[in-house]
Amino acid sequence: MNFFSKYSNQITGYLFITPAVLLISLFGIFPVFFGFYMSFHKWKVFKGRFLGFENYQRILGDISSFWIFVFGLLLLIFSYWSWSEYKDKLKNKIPLLIFSILILFFGLFLINSSWAKMVSLGDDDFLYSIIYTFYYSFLTITSEVGLGLVIAFALYQRLKGKQFFQMILLLPYITPAVMGAAVFFIIFGKAENSLLNEFIGLFGFDPQLWLFDKRPITEVLFGIKINNFLAGPSLALTSAIIYGIWSYTGYYAIILLAGLSIIPSDLYEAAKAEGASRWQTFIKITIPLLMPIIFFLLLTGFINTFQAFNHIYVMQTSSAGDTMDVVTVEIFDHFWDRVKFGYAAAEGVVLFILLNVLAISQYIFFRKRLNYD
Amino acid sequence: MIKIFNAETKLPYVILFIVTVVSIYPFFYMISTSFMTIGEAINQYLLPKKLHFENYIEVWTSNNFQRYTINSLIIATIIVSGILFTSIPAAYSFARIDFPFKNIIFYFLLISLMIPEIIMLLPHLLIIRGEIIPLPFGPSWMNSLQGLTVPFMGNIFVIFLLRQYFKKIPKELWEAARMDGASHFYFLYKVVVPLSLPIIVTVSLFSFILAWNAFAWPLLILTKDDWFPVTVSIYGFIREVGPNFNLLMAACVISILPILILYFFTQKLFLEAISNFGLKG
Repeated sequence: MNFFSKYSNQITGYLFITPAVLLISLFGIFPVFFGFYMSFHKWKVFKGRFLGFENYQRILGDISSFWIFVFGLLLLIFSYWSWSEYKDKLKNKIPLLIFSILILFFGLFLINSSWAKMVSLGDDDFLYSIIYTFYYSFLTITSEVGLGLVIAFALYQRLKGKQFFQMILLLPYITPAVMGAAVFFIIFGKAENSLLNEFIGLFGFDPQLWLFDKRPITEVLFGIKINNFLAGPSLALTSAIIYGIWSYTGYYAIILLAGLSIIPSDLYEAAKAEGASRWQTFIKITIPLLMPIIFFLLLTGFINTFQAFNHIYVMQTSSAGDTMDVVTVEIFDHFWDRVKFGYAAAEGVVLFILLNVLAISQYIFFRKRLNYD
Repeated sequence: MIKIFNAETKLPYVILFIVTVVSIYPFFYMISTSFMTIGEAINQYLLPKKLHFENYIEVWTSNNFQRYTINSLIIATIIVSGILFTSIPAAYSFARIDFPFKNIIFYFLLISLMIPEIIMLLPHLLIIRGEIIPLPFGPSWMNSLQGLTVPFMGNIFVIFLLRQYFKKIPKELWEAARMDGASHFYFLYKVVVPLSLPIIVTVSLFSFILAWNAFAWPLLILTKDDWFPVTVSIYGFIREVGPNFNLLMAACVISILPILILYFFTQKLFLEAISNFGLKG
């Protein structure tokens, strides 16, 4: 009795968190460790023999190349970090600049050479899916934040009906991805009279196959055939990218609008008094002050879009070939259609490592502002 | 009279007008097509000549679509109540009660935010099949309601948001309540919860949307259609629809409707939450 009354606070505390802790540990954290465990086994529906690193060997071709690749990524981050950390502390910036650029190029060189080795030895489907995911993430997040910035700036002016516009902006964001993708599946249809084809027809373009076209975007736009990374996403993947932009731009606009309203208004008034045009104010005051938020959104958004699944899976068509197989779709196919659990788990671990490199960079860039309270 | 359009606001209005059209057009297209005949839908008319409400009746009564919609409602409601049931006490405890290892446990749980969902699916599947730990309510949760809902009932992000809010409630209130002999439990449900209704509504809406969106997981664990949610059924619909766009669009309208209704009632809170925290989704 004495014990209970003395520690009643602590006991209540533990009792209150127990259900949540049990559920989150079991379904939120344990799976990662179990995924690691699975990735070392032959596992088709039921557990098979121990394989060691064989799954990774087959995926990456050469495991040491993968680590060199990761190291190259870290060097890119380090190059940025050394520049941003010391540029204000040193008087002579030239050596630092040269040093950072050298590191940058060395990182790029490592990434390029190790990637080439991995592609020649490893599982092409998976490695290409990383490239497709990169296209997807990079293009969606930069467009979303860029367009979001323009919209936020428009909303920031003294306008009527601000509430209304904000409500409309979030509509695409709350639309469930599967249903939204169903609508876009028809809008991006291959029919000659599909909505989008009619629309581009207004500008005198020929109808396209959109989701059913696996040609790279550069070939569709400019008619040049490129065979490497620079060829860009296929037209089908571009359609999925456009859907991603449609659904998330408003969301980023709202966040950036919140960021804009933090900027003190006397700064704008001072600029106005100096006779600066609105465009100048935007470039010289707004963008620099918003830069931390923009950068943060780009990074977290990149990590999130790297995991996009629902709408891409729904919008897949057989004639687009594997050009829409982003990492998540590839992993899902491996364990759902081909029942290779161990192999899929190993792919998941590789994705996990790559995402953590991004998360590390996020931590490095924002550690000064990191605050959970 | 105040001039709405002047030199300074012309460009912003043009931008917002374009954005509005682009944002709404897919909805307009969806609703308009859902009232068309097949012929009109294939020829991509802008508006139907006559409103064919039959499409809705046909979708609603055929292919078990009715049941799938109700399934989704049941699943989402259970997940939301589950999340609230586990998160409110946990958030309160993390915000107000002092106990050993509190922060360590909290940060440990935050790890789960960094793990991609696709990696979780496989181990989840094995847990649900009862291969890792013995499960209550039956040996395997495949094809069952508990399999669809229980894995999503703990959500650290919701706990995080609630905790931020609970922390703002003045400590003096608790001191006063304790003087009157109130327990933590009593204080939580009589004082904290009523004071925190805005954030509770917001996280409920957010969890409801997440639950309604669930797609990969149901696709994975359901081999029979007893508990098919509406997302999986729409996916099947797209694969076999052929030219019946009008019916597909009617199905989409029906399945987006609950979300839209909830959104219209809570949009102000939702907007505030996104501005403050940037809800992840």
